[in-house]
Amino acid sequence: MIRRSMVLWTILASLFAVAMFLIKHEVQVREARLDALHRDILASQEAIQVLRAEWSYLNQPVRIESLIRRHMDLRPTDTTQLGGYDALPVRLSDASDQTEVAQ
Amino acid sequence: MSGFEHNQLPPRQVDDAGMPTVRIEGATKQAIEVGRNRLLVAGAFFAIAFTLVAVRLVDVAVLSGLNEPSVAREAASSPLKKGRADIVDRNGVLLATSLSVPSLYADPKDVIDAEVSARRLTSVLTHLDPVEVAAKLRAEKRFVWIQRGLTPRQQYEINALGIPGLHFQREERRVYPQGSLASHVVGFAGTDATGLGGIEKQFDATLRDGAEPLALSMDIRVQHILREEVGRQMVAFNGIGGAGVVLNANTGEVVAMVSLPDFDPNAAGVASDDSRFNRASLGVYEMGSTFKIFNTALALEAGTATMTSGYDATKPIRIARFTINDYHAKRRWLSVPEIFQYSSNIGSVKMALDYGAEAQRDFMDKLGFLKPVAVELPERGAPMAPKPWRKISTMTIAFGHGIAVSPLHLVSGVATVVNGGIQWPVTLVKRDPEVRALGRQVLSRKTSVEMRKLLRLVVETGTGRKASADGYLVGGKTGTAEKPGKGGSYARKSLLSSFVSAFPMHDPRYVVLVMIDEPKGNKESHGYATGGWVAAPAVKRIIARSAPLLGIHPFDEESPEIRQVLDIQSPPEKGRKRLASF
Repeated sequence: MIRRSMVLWTILASLFAVAMFLIKHEVQVREARLDALHRDILASQEAIQVLRAEWSYLNQPVRIESLIRRHMDLRPTDTTQLGGYDALPVRLSDASDQTEVAQ
Repeated sequence: MSGFEHNQLPPRQVDDAGMPTVRIEGATKQAIEVGRNRLLVAGAFFAIAFTLVAVRLVDVAVLSGLNEPSVAREAASSPLKKGRADIVDRNGVLLATSLSVPSLYADPKDVIDAEVSARRLTSVLTHLDPVEVAAKLRAEKRFVWIQRGLTPRQQYEINALGIPGLHFQREERRVYPQGSLASHVVGFAGTDATGLGGIEKQFDATLRDGAEPLALSMDIRVQHILREEVGRQMVAFNGIGGAGVVLNANTGEVVAMVSLPDFDPNAAGVASDDSRFNRASLGVYEMGSTFKIFNTALALEAGTATMTSGYDATKPIRIARFTINDYHAKRRWLSVPEIFQYSSNIGSVKMALDYGAEAQRDFMDKLGFLKPVAVELPERGAPMAPKPWRKISTMTIAFGHGIAVSPLHLVSGVATVVNGGIQWPVTLVKRDPEVRALGRQVLSRKTSVEMRKLLRLVVETGTGRKASADGYLVGGKTGTAEKPGKGGSYARKSLLSSFVSAFPMHDPRYVVLVMIDEPKGNKESHGYATGGWVAAPAVKRIIARSAPLLGIHPFDEESPEIRQVLDIQSPPEKGRKRLASF
């Protein structure tokens, strides 16, 4: 009886030992990976920050304005170019109505 | 228990129940008792120890989990840690950020050939002198800086050269991608990332441990327009400086603020004191005729003048050794709208004398003109007000002399006058549109509505016609102040020309100020350097260019609804005519 339970416990203990070793090993591997990922994220964040700064730098209104002057025909909007729906003349009838009248 | 062996066991006996029992006698029995006791003690010790371990195990694994931060959460938050927080404009455009930049240093012990290395290195860092670099590479030290703050490209190229003895170290550096565009607002930080000016200094502690970017109330597009137009007038009229402000009249948010000349915050150390000086918030000036806005508003509010009453402006006023005269003299009786329209000093002084010194002082106090403006900048100018407030002070303040305030004071006051009489604390930080409880009513709505008409009149037919941007119903007031000279007397030639305006005038949304310091008249202005010639055209262009960005569409200026809001009912007196003036 004692011997049998002894065997059982020994097997269980060694199973647990092996399981613990495996889990610990796995955790170590994952922690190393997590560290690597964190380093990657930090590096990416720094790179993004540099790109954001560069984006803002390249979007300086002075620079964009000079580029537009050089390469495009855009001009500042004139007030006469702006209007609302209210300012549009009333449309008297639909195109289909007109064809009916014509017939 | 030495010598205790199986064959020495005493003979077996059988007890009453028939079970075999062992009877042990004497010294042997005692030895077994001792052994048993020792076993018991040891067993109990281990049992307690294991129980403790088990209890602790349950405690750690199950119970303590609530108090301790979980490993996963801890790990996830750590890479988000950055240096000093960013500063962005109201639309999220980056104005200041912290970058981790590589800096190049050398360990001269490891450098093989200083001359060759220096020559190759300066082929990438072209602004460095090869001789100086070679001297550094020969130094009897283990560490010498070559260049702080490299760009990623420079770092790559230097790495590609493969010169032994050169190393990089990462350093945090404050970068201002928009350069000098918002230099006076954003300010600058030193090499050790401490704020030394502007928002950087004011919010130093917040920026230091903040992760969230700080959003300013500024709109970088409007800022650009303002800076360009103020700069254009400054150059055209050969001024020594200029300032401009665009303020949201209904929230107190500063949408744009410039002071020229300005500086590049990326190289703030080499900027001159003059360029670092913030004329918009730190400089205090006698504003001149723009103060007639407050003079007229107070007279209307106090009831000592109405839109139909008037004053005799035929003769100059003499007091003590001064003579107060009109620049655009009409030499006749003028109604209150005419006094405002033609910027009559004589009429304004008479209006001020009617309401008196005490009312004037109270009103200036209510508008915040007697203390530094409460904006989030370390550079705030303290106004200069007369002490004691004599009769002569009351008279000169009526037309904007004898009191000096900053341009920010002026726009804040004008916003109060036109927005329905509510004074908003001026702010550079983006304000939550829901929070509207900060404003204080300091002027009645009725007076504010009347002032809108008067300001519109100046642009329609008075001294500010050059500010009329089609469709945006601009209203405003010119100001041309003579700057105090060295001897305390006023210098005729050094002027401070300004134009303060609001638009659209039937329901003002923004206040715009342009101020040019010491402009000189040119050919196009026929030699004039007054606010109407110098600052008003800039205001017109600023409004026409920025209104679409600010979400304001043009209005039909002749529509009956708008005419009804802005037209002044003609008084019965014969004196009122729609006369043009310069």
